[in-house]
Parts: sequence; structure tokens; C-alpha cells
Amino acid sequence: MVKKIVKFFIYLSFFILALIYFTPKVNLYYFGESKLKSYDVVVTDERLKDNGFSLNIKDGTVVVKSIDSARFENIDVRLLGLYNFISVDNITLASTAKAFIPVVINKINIQYHILNPLNIDIFAIGEFGKVRAVFNLLKMELDLHLTPSKLMKTKYQNGLKYLKKSENGEFTYVKAF
Amino acid sequence: MLKLSNSKIISIITKLLVLVVIAKALSLVLWLYLPSDGVDVKKRYSYQPKYQRVVFNNMIIQEKKVTKKVTKKVDGINITNMVLKAIYGTDKKAFVIVAMKRFPKKTEVIGIGESFKGYKLKSITISSAIFEKGSKDYILNLAVSKKSKKSKSLSKNYIKRVVSKKANTIPKVSADDTVSVSRKDIGYFAKNPKQIWKEISIHEVKDGKKIVGFKVTNIKRNSKFAMLGLHKGDLIVMANNRKLESYKDAIDIYKNIDKLDTIQIVVIRNNQEVELVYEIN
Repeated sequence: MVKKIVKFFIYLSFFILALIYFTPKVNLYYFGESKLKSYDVVVTDERLKDNGFSLNIKDGTVVVKSIDSARFENIDVRLLGLYNFISVDNITLASTAKAFIPVVINKINIQYHILNPLNIDIFAIGEFGKVRAVFNLLKMELDLHLTPSKLMKTKYQNGLKYLKKSENGEFTYVKAF
Repeated sequence: MLKLSNSKIISIITKLLVLVVIAKALSLVLWLYLPSDGVDVKKRYSYQPKYQRVVFNNMIIQEKKVTKKVTKKVDGINITNMVLKAIYGTDKKAFVIVAMKRFPKKTEVIGIGESFKGYKLKSITISSAIFEKGSKDYILNLAVSKKSKKSKSLSKNYIKRVVSKKANTIPKVSADDTVSVSRKDIGYFAKNPKQIWKEISIHEVKDGKKIVGFKVTNIKRNSKFAMLGLHKGDLIVMANNRKLESYKDAIDIYKNIDKLDTIQIVVIRNNQEVELVYEIN
């Protein structure tokens, strides 16, 4: 009996992997893009590559309400069901945002896996410093912790006013959706 | 002899192949229903030439003044060669905008105590500025055109901007006025965008899904924006001959503001189009 169950799970895993491999990820991305369009958000000029188990998006521009808002060099999307990972590299925000925040973000990692099924982990590093954030799916709440860089502390104090300073020098922000 | 069809490996491979075929079939069905093209931004290329404003009236008036009024010359620069273009004052600070008559567009903003071509600004009255040089005082009157002299109103090209907090009034800027805006102010607001929204509220106005302009929903009395001649309820529809149909159109003007010498905006006020022109100094 146990042998049969093990066999079933092996076949099921194989089927899921085959399904992920054959899924038209580029078309799925286009579907996501069309959904984003209704919020006036468009990703343009990007180059897409289906790598079998991941989707690679290169050199795109994010346009919000017809305004070029950010450019990114690389996005890697791995949605494997039990382990899902999105990595965004080298983002440059539009120069118009310079008055509010530092415009260079080196990396953003978004991770969701079966070992922590209720939370989505987010990590970002850039000119602003480091951000660790957790999005709780049950409470629909974002808990963000920022360790600001020198630049952020000196030139962008206004932006820090929205965050709460904690004892360890971090700045926290909690938002429920 | 071992029968190949009875082999366990063949059975497993067959099962796996079936699973692969099912997975592929499902992905094909999915592929049929998904869009085959992405969303792209339709780039709007503008072949419109750079906005330029030529004030012929200004040129004619200055030529006449130069021939009539040149009297004393001190090192080639004389008070009579200068033109007082605007006076700006609040309770706390005051300054004037002056230029040489030969180069009326090369204006300079002078505060009390500061010098322009060797003439130190001593004080400001409602219609003139008093300069000092070599212990002598020189009065430079606000330049006015012939038309406005008759009507005792201000010139179309040289606007006096005096704010009286006690009277709590906003200076009226008519449709044809050209108002001077300093790059210093623009730089300040660019660095402190929050300050903008403390003084003015603007919201998009849509006709269906299309933006038709940006409405001034609130404007702080005696603020810099109020002095620009904007009124509550104004619908800004055009800037430098470009229709404002998206946030991008507005942002494009803002991004290139360093390169602009003049900004012209068209607002709809009381169902009438009003043109406001700003000279950036």
C-alpha cells in the first residue's frame, strides 16, 4: 500500500514538472500583462525567454499611467508550485522620483515556499539601504523593516517620516490590505 | 528469452510518456486560450517645434526708449540703460527683476542690499526701486507701456507683483500677462514636491476614459501658485501648445523645465480659454 502511495506521488510530481515545463510561460506572461493594463501599468521594450522551468525577462521599462517609471535589467521568475521565486535585478526608478527616494535598487527577491505557506518573503537592497518584508496571506498584512543607508538618512529624511523608528535603528512600516 | 513487453522499465517509461503527453496536451489547450502578444506602449512621437514666444511690442518700445533716454554714461553702464521689469514683495522679503534695455531677456533678481551693474538696491516702493551708487540715489521706475499709462494699469510685459497680507488679496493676472518665475523657485519646488501639494491641489478630469485636463481644485491664498494667476476651478488643458491628455504630458514638461525659457498654459475658466504665459528667469 505504502509502495503504491509513494509511486503515485512520484508520478504526480513528474506530471507537475512536465506540466510546468510545457506551460507556455511567455503567453502566461502576456496574460498577466493584459491584467496589469487595466491598472494602467505596462511593461514595455522587454525581451522574454522561456527557460523551461523559469521565465527570464530582460531590459524592460515599467510605464505607469503613460509615465516611464522604472527600468530593470533582469527578472527571473520560477513558479514551481512548492517553491516560487521572483528575482529582479538592477532597477532604476525615473528621475522624477529622485526628490522622494534614491532611484537605484540593486535587487529585489520575492520568495514563497511550502515550508512557510502563510507568508511571502521579500528582500530588497539598493541605495536606500536594505529592506526585509513579510506579507502575511492570512492577515493580508505587509510588515516592512528598513535599514536605511547613509544616503537615505541624510538626503531623504522626509521619506523616513512615514516609517516608525524601532529600538535597533531599523524603520518599520505595517500596512493591511 | 526475456520478453521486452513484460519489462518493468518499459511499463514505467510508457506511463511517464503518457503523463508527458497529457501535460503537453493540457499546455496546448492553455496556449490556445492565452494571448499571443503582449501589451506595448504606443509611443506618441511629437514633431511639434519647440514653443517660442516673440513679443514684438516689447522690441518696438525698447528701441524708442534707448534713443530718447540715454543721457549719462558711467563706464558704459547707466541707470537709464536699465529697465525695472517687476517688483515682488511680501511682508518678509522683497526683490526686483531688472535687466539692461539692450538685453531685456537677460534679467536678474536683486534683493535689497544686492547690487546690479554697480548699483546697490537700497529700497523698494510700490512702483519703483531706489538704487544707490557713490552716495547718490537713483530711482528706477517700473516700466509701463503707453496703453497702461493711460489706464494707470500695469504693462502687459512688465508685471508688478506685490502681495499685501493685510489686505489678503491675490494679485490679478490677466490672460495676456507675462509673469516672471525664478528658476530658484522652480528648483525649490523640485526638491520639495510636498510643498507643491501644500499650496495647490490638482486632479485629473476625464471624459470617459480619456484625460481632458487637470483641474485646480484648491489653491492656497497668497501662495506662489496663486500669484501665478491660477484660480480655483481652472482646468489646465494645454502647456506649450501640447494638449495635456495624460500624466506623461505633464511630466514631460516638468522634466524639461530646465531647458525652457517660457511656459505657456491654457486654462478653461468660466467656459472661456485663458492663456497664461510665464517667463522663467
